[in-house]
Amino acid sequence: MHRAVILLLGLFIGCEQAPEPSHNELTVMMGLAEVEWRVMREQVFPPFEHQHQVRLRGVQAEAPDAAKKLVAMHRAKRMEVDLITQDVLQLAPLVNAEVMEELSAYREAIPATALPHLIEVGTFDGTVFFMPYRPNVQIAYYNEEKFRAYELHPPQTWPELLAVAQRFHAAEGVGRVLVQGTLTPNTTTQVIEFIWAAGGDPLVLNDQGSVEALTFLQQLAPYLSPETRRADWNTVNAFLATESVYLARNWPFGIHLLVQEAGKTQIKAHHGWRGPVREAHVLGGEVIGIPKGARQRELALEFMQYLMSKPVQETLVSSLGWPSFRSDAYGSIQAWQEPYFAAVQEALTQAYPRPQLSYWGQLDRALTGAFREIVYEGQPVQATLDRYHWELQQGRQHNRR
Amino acid sequence: MKPSHTLPWWYGGSLVVALFTLLPLYIMVKSSVSPPHDIFTPNPTFGVSALTDAHWKAVLASETLWPPLGKSLAVATWTMLAAIGVAAPAAYVISRLPWPWKYGVLLGLFASRMVPEVGIALPIAVRFLQWGLVDSQLGLVLAHLIKTLPFVAWILVGSFEAIPVAVEEAAEVDGCDRLGVLTRVVFPMALPGVAVAGLFAWLESWNEFTYALYLSLIDNTLPLQIYYYITRGSWFDSATYATILTVPVIVVTACLQRYLKAGYLAGAVKE
Repeated sequence: MHRAVILLLGLFIGCEQAPEPSHNELTVMMGLAEVEWRVMREQVFPPFEHQHQVRLRGVQAEAPDAAKKLVAMHRAKRMEVDLITQDVLQLAPLVNAEVMEELSAYREAIPATALPHLIEVGTFDGTVFFMPYRPNVQIAYYNEEKFRAYELHPPQTWPELLAVAQRFHAAEGVGRVLVQGTLTPNTTTQVIEFIWAAGGDPLVLNDQGSVEALTFLQQLAPYLSPETRRADWNTVNAFLATESVYLARNWPFGIHLLVQEAGKTQIKAHHGWRGPVREAHVLGGEVIGIPKGARQRELALEFMQYLMSKPVQETLVSSLGWPSFRSDAYGSIQAWQEPYFAAVQEALTQAYPRPQLSYWGQLDRALTGAFREIVYEGQPVQATLDRYHWELQQGRQHNRR
Repeated sequence: MKPSHTLPWWYGGSLVVALFTLLPLYIMVKSSVSPPHDIFTPNPTFGVSALTDAHWKAVLASETLWPPLGKSLAVATWTMLAAIGVAAPAAYVISRLPWPWKYGVLLGLFASRMVPEVGIALPIAVRFLQWGLVDSQLGLVLAHLIKTLPFVAWILVGSFEAIPVAVEEAAEVDGCDRLGVLTRVVFPMALPGVAVAGLFAWLESWNEFTYALYLSLIDNTLPLQIYYYITRGSWFDSATYATILTVPVIVVTACLQRYLKAGYLAGAVKE
C-alpha cells in the first residue's frame, strides 16, 4: 500500500527513488575537507577498487551527523553505509546506540606498530568496536610577527603562558590569548588538558590537580581575549586569521586554512605548554568502524585492513600531512608543512586518550559548568569543584542504577 | 495615506531597517569577491578595495555546486506546488465551515506543529528510510510537506475567508456552475494569498536542513553543501555558496511579488 502511494506520488511530481547500491559498491562515510576527499578519490580508493573490482562511494558526514544517520538507518533496518571513519571523541553515542559491529575477532589485524592509545579508545569494556586509523592532537598556533614585535617566545610552561597573556593585554589593552570557552565539548577538551597537566583527574574534579588547573585558569581569565566566549574549533581559525588573537590551541586542520587559504604564513605552531606536572594533550583523531547490518560486511573488513596498511598510511602522511598511527609509516611532506607536522608529532608524544564513559554527558556538563563559574564568574575554586564533584558522583551512581 | 510631515521619518526608519537587514548580505557578497588579504586583516575596510573572481570561478567549476543546486530547486518547487495543490482546496472548504468547526480544524492542523522538528525528525526519517526514500527528491518533498502544509493551509484559509460568499452567489447568478465559481472567481481572487503561501512553502523547503540531513547520503541539497563548507572552514567557498543560495530566493520573491496586491477586493460587492 505504502509503495503504491509512493509510486503514485513519484509519478505525480516527476521524480523517482534513488537507485539501490549495487553489489559491487562499497559505501564509506567520512568527514573530510574537499582537498582530503580528492586524495581519497585519486590515491587511496583506486588501488582497492582495482584489486577487488568494486566501486567505492564516499559519503561526507561530520561526526555528530554520522551518528544520527547511522542510528536512523539501524532503526530502519536499512543500513546504507558499509564502513565509517569516526572522530574518537564521538564514539560513545555509537556504541551506546548499539549500531556498531563488534570487531574483537579482528584484533590481530591491528599492526604491531600501532599507537597503543588509539587502540585503547576503540575498546569499550574490553570489546573492540573500532580499529585505529589516524591520530590527532591540538597544537598551539601563534602569530610569529606579534610575538617578535613584543620580544616574546611561544610559552612552554604555565607561568610563561600567563606572562605572555599579561604582556599582550598590557600592551594592547585587550587580551590576545584564547581558550576555547563556548561551554561546549570544545571547552571540555581544553579543561581536561589543563587538569591532566596539573596531575589531576577530571573524573574526580576536586582533587589537588584539578583545583590547581582551575585556579590557574581563573588567574589567566582577566588577560584572555574577549573572543574566548565564542571560540570553538571552527571559529578559532578566523580569530587567528583576522589577528584578533595571537595565541590559541586548536586542531591541526587549521594549518591548511590559515597558511594556504588565508595566506597567513606568520602563523606558526608549536606543540604546547606543560603544567606543573607534565605536558598533556587529549588524543583526538579517527578510528574505523563497521555498522551493524552493513551490506558489504566482508568487503568492508578488507577495506578496513587496507586503510590500516603501511602504503595507505604513508600516502596519508605524504599527501595530507596526517601523522600516522603506525610508527613504521613514513612519508615525505611538503616543505611548508614540515614545522607544523613536527609540532603535531611532538604533541602526540604527550597525548592521552579521553576516558570512554557512559556518563560522558554529565562529565561534560560538570567541566563546562565549573569553567563558567570559576573563569567567567570568578566563583571560589575549591567550593565550586566540591559541588561539581558531588554532582558527578550522584550522576555516576544514577547511571549505574 | 500617511500625513506628509511624517513621511521623512517613515522613509528614514525604513532605510535604517533596510540597511540593518542588508548589511550581513553585503558582507557575505563582499567576502565572496574579495582576496584573502582584504578580509583577513585586523581592520577590514567597509568598501571593496580589491576584487577577485577566484572564489566564484572555483565554486562554479566545482562538481559540488550544480547537483545540490538542481536538487534544492527541484525539491523546493515541487514542495510549493504540492503544498498549494493539496492545501488550497482543503483551505477553501475549511474557510466555509461554521466557525467552531473551522477553528477546531485549524487548531488540529497546528497541533501537528507543536512538537519540535528535531523531536519528530528521527522517527519520520526512519519510516522514510524503510520506504527507500533516501537520496530521493520525493522523500524530501514529502518530508518538507510535513512542515509546510499546516502553515500554507492556515494562510489560505485566511485568504478564502476574505472573499465574501456574496461574490460566489453573484457569479452563480451570472451563470457560473460550482466549479466555474471556484476556478474563475474564487481562486483568482485568492491569488495574493496563494502567492504568499507559495513563497512561504518554497522558502521553507529551500532552507530546510534537518530532514535533508537524515535523508541525504550522496546527493546533498544546497544548505547541506553550505553547512559542509562552513564546518570544514573554507571561508571564501562558504561565502560564495551562501551568495548563490540567496539568488534564487530573490528571483522567486520577485516573480511572486507581482501577485501580492492590497485592496484587490475593493468594490467586489455592493454594501
